[in-house]
Amino acid sequence: MVLTFFDKAGETVLKAMDTAGDFAVLAGRTFAAIFKRPFDGQNLFRQFQAVGVNSLPVVILTSLAVSMVFAVQLAFGFKQFQAEGLASQVEGLAVMRELAPVITGLMLSGRVGSAMAAELGTMQVTEQIDALECLATDPIHYLFVPRLLASVVMLPILTAISIYVGYWGGYLILVGVEGQSAYVFSNEFYKLLAFRDLRIALYKAFVFGMIIALVGCWKGYRTQGGAEGVGNAPTSSVVTSSLWILIADFFLTKLLLV
Amino acid sequence: MAVIDVVNLSKAFGPKVVLSGVNLAVEEGESLVVLGGSGTGKTVLLRNIMGLLTPDSGHVAVEGRIISQLSRDELFQVRQSIGMCFQMAALFDSMTVFENVAFGLRRHQKMTEGQIRARVEECLALVGMKGTDALKPAELSGGMKRRVGFARAIALKPKILLFDEPTTGLDPVMTDVIGRVILDLKHELGVTTITITHDLKSAFIIADRIALLFRGECIACQPPAGFRDNPHPVVQQFLRGDADGPFLQDPPPPKRKEAHA
Repeated sequence: MVLTFFDKAGETVLKAMDTAGDFAVLAGRTFAAIFKRPFDGQNLFRQFQAVGVNSLPVVILTSLAVSMVFAVQLAFGFKQFQAEGLASQVEGLAVMRELAPVITGLMLSGRVGSAMAAELGTMQVTEQIDALECLATDPIHYLFVPRLLASVVMLPILTAISIYVGYWGGYLILVGVEGQSAYVFSNEFYKLLAFRDLRIALYKAFVFGMIIALVGCWKGYRTQGGAEGVGNAPTSSVVTSSLWILIADFFLTKLLLV
Repeated sequence: MAVIDVVNLSKAFGPKVVLSGVNLAVEEGESLVVLGGSGTGKTVLLRNIMGLLTPDSGHVAVEGRIISQLSRDELFQVRQSIGMCFQMAALFDSMTVFENVAFGLRRHQKMTEGQIRARVEECLALVGMKGTDALKPAELSGGMKRRVGFARAIALKPKILLFDEPTTGLDPVMTDVIGRVILDLKHELGVTTITITHDLKSAFIIADRIALLFRGECIACQPPAGFRDNPHPVVQQFLRGDADGPFLQDPPPPKRKEAHA
């Protein structure tokens, strides 16, 4: 009974280490392949479009919705203390430091990371990745690298857009609905912020981009078992990358705010 | 020296032994057909030759270079001289037929767009698929996909062509078409080929030698005439296509009239 427990615990630990090791090796191979030739500009451009341009609507809509609902809550909360003026300052702080990078990261892990896992998973089970190998093409270089580059470049850009949209979301509620002065709002929104906060947000987005691309590609590349495996890969990718985005967010915040 | 030398090749997946001490040598320009029941390790043999799998023991040498001992860059160099045709074609479904065939050329050859177009058209013409360059794989039938897969495999002018069950799942007419295409490629390109198939008719047309894999071992490897006369009961059962005999591990269901009795 006790032995069985230790057997199972040991097996679980070994399996977890095996998985972590596999991810680390593939991630290392991806970074090592970044500067390898040939450079496929067309493939990279397609990924920039898939990760960046095609994600614009979803990022704009979610950023607008989240910043608006946050403004509603802040306006309601601060009204209790007759401190409505603070709402725009806190809105600015929350949007810039947390909401924009995290919401953008989570939305893209759902939209882009899952698509990467599904695409590579389908390629794996239909032998297209083997075909790449047989055509003397490293799948890590051809599939992982453009997706990683597109994600680490586009996530910060989308986060910057999300911050801008977040400003207007707050404006709509606090100025349009709550009746605050537009002049005061635009001054107060940035009052508690420094350039460092924008830099931290962009650093976070950079790391989230890395997590989304590497986890999505890894889950797809390791797909096994036909249709069921292809079905599981995106789900697993979204869950894993969302979890790591939230964990990384905590550590990055602690680290970068010091 | 043999172009492809398979020496004591063994491969197991967990407890299941798929290949056990297989020896095969394919000479330059020769066409070897590998026959065998499902799950006897035919595809595993090809994957070992391509370096997609690593042998548990033994080795595969291509033009004297042991595949499992090559660095990744050296392996990619060897793979440029081998064209692999997959069972279900494995075409890149996000690309057109033209892009599929041009893929290897764009990655490994310094050719102008005009030269690439000319080479792609030449390859598509060789497999009877001229004029399909703008189509996507989803718009092609099974036989057409296989032929585009052949065109992609020959684009880099390989010295060796490997065909993994090129006729499985096709109707008899298309099977004959594929058989003819393989024969044309063999004669026009003068390449060394290994073909895995269940189709005995095309096997006897294509082959210079026929090998039969049975329970992970190569039990026969000889020219078609000799193979047909091979007295080994498994060979004869395979040629007859009869369920009764030593070929199956589990006994087959009884024939209908015996069941009535």
